[in-house]
Amino acid sequence: MNDQPGPGAKVLTYGFLGLFAVATVLPFLYMISLSLQSEAQTMAATPVVIPSSPRWHNYVDIWKLAPFARFFANSVIVAGAITLSHLFFDPLAGYVFAKYEFPLKHVIFVLILGTLMIPFFVRMIPLYVMMSDFGWLNSYQALIVPFLMSAYGIFLMRQFIQPLPNDLIDAARLDGASEFRIYWNIVLPQTKPALATLGLLTFVFQFNEFIWPLIIVNTTTMRTLTIGLTLFNQENFVQWQYTAAGAIILFVPSLVFFLITQRYFVRGIALSGMK
Amino acid sequence: MSSVPSAYPVNSQLRRARTGLATRQAVVAYVFLAPALVYFALFFFYPIAKEFWLSLHTGQNADVFTGLDNYLDALRDPRVRHSSWVTALFAVGTTVGNIVIGLGLALLLDRPLRGRVVFRSLLFFPYMTSFVIVALMWKNILDPYVGILNRLLLEFGLPQQYWLTSYTWALPAIIGITIWHGMGYTMVLFLAGLQGIPQDYYDAAKVDGADSWSLFRHITLPLLAPTTLFVSVIGIITSLQDFAQPYIITGGGPADATRLYVYHVFESGFGQLDFGYASALAFLMFLVILVLTVAQLRLGRRGIEY
Repeated sequence: MNDQPGPGAKVLTYGFLGLFAVATVLPFLYMISLSLQSEAQTMAATPVVIPSSPRWHNYVDIWKLAPFARFFANSVIVAGAITLSHLFFDPLAGYVFAKYEFPLKHVIFVLILGTLMIPFFVRMIPLYVMMSDFGWLNSYQALIVPFLMSAYGIFLMRQFIQPLPNDLIDAARLDGASEFRIYWNIVLPQTKPALATLGLLTFVFQFNEFIWPLIIVNTTTMRTLTIGLTLFNQENFVQWQYTAAGAIILFVPSLVFFLITQRYFVRGIALSGMK
Repeated sequence: MSSVPSAYPVNSQLRRARTGLATRQAVVAYVFLAPALVYFALFFFYPIAKEFWLSLHTGQNADVFTGLDNYLDALRDPRVRHSSWVTALFAVGTTVGNIVIGLGLALLLDRPLRGRVVFRSLLFFPYMTSFVIVALMWKNILDPYVGILNRLLLEFGLPQQYWLTSYTWALPAIIGITIWHGMGYTMVLFLAGLQGIPQDYYDAAKVDGADSWSLFRHITLPLLAPTTLFVSVIGIITSLQDFAQPYIITGGGPADATRLYVYHVFESGFGQLDFGYASALAFLMFLVILVLTVAQLRLGRRGIEY
């Protein structure tokens, strides 16, 4: 469909796209506006669109109303630890499936891929009971350990590593290098783009994770940003200007990552869809 | 070992070398794979077994054995039936909406346009935002009293609605919010699918005098079938599991109008502390999802092959 459309079609196309683009952006803009309003303005009968005297101070006040700094730190720690773990373990398994032959290889691979079909809610109660038995409730371990690896990451790395040429690997073997050194010094450096994609996706996903931290954590100091913000909203639902400010704060890391990696993200999703 | 050394490896030597190498490979592979094997066994397969085990018990610590009673109770519970119905509506509504809108946007974007990348990024924006933010945003916008939608309607003298606290509007509202969030994702997938269709097909058909609608019906749609299948399978699976909408936006109400299934599981387990019953509910949904997915894939494959 690459021939030039007539002028009428062009108007319609831009019109619809413009409409949807506005529909997607407007709520975000409104949130920013809301975060700069006073409580009275957020509830005024005539809605305030652009506050005349923006209350930038809301962004300062919010840190005092709830320990948002702690929430933010928790989110970063948990998401960061999980991402690092993924980046260490997923490529290792992906490499094995890509470059080694061994009995039951196909069966194990299918089993691991099969875990992608398991909905989280089926695991959530048993995982909770397990964490409780370990004495890990309300702890960083409980937030991190159940997510150390993923079949998605392993699959991604395997697909990326498979087409890599074997010559360097074989040469290193002849030279007597240990298998792990081959993996670490030869294979891994060649997977940087895939590692970057995996790292980004994992971090953003884990940063925004909601159900698990909700179940596992029951003290304020251990809450992650997503839960902290939600609870704050439920307790102080009238103070929408602060909830909006909090939402913007939660939004910033994702936005930064997205802008940096826009191309990887969209292409990565498109590629995964084509299978 | 032969007594006469030869330049070329003798059969037995070859075999031994080959099996030696193969064994070494296998050992290394398993050692490297060990962490993954332990991890998946411990955090995926064991929990599933445990879930089933828990579902056969009742009581505060799920330690009283009741066999399949939980399952029977669940199937007879009107609240479970209502929840299932609401969830089914939600899943179909969001998936169909995502496909229609995502495909529409992709078709619009699949042309030489100025600002194409800008549009694509803007439309993808909601998807890369945490759903928690999306939920809070819309919870505010649609709030009956302080939400900007109603306030604007009031300004213009138009009728207001209770939206999220209205029995008729709550479910459509969260369906709409979910579509708003997910349409960028399906759009990107359809864009990739569209770009995989060779231009020659269109050129040949146009030479034969086909109009836009025929092009769409007979070339675009059929060749998009794999993408459409993927989007609908993923769409159904994920929407059946959605939880944040009832938890953050509506609390499952009003009057259970938006009490999605996983929310009901969550409430039974962590609200009413009946882990056994909640486990049974979870397991039932798991079976449904498995069956649906297999069915969709079978049907889809048959359609595509044809």
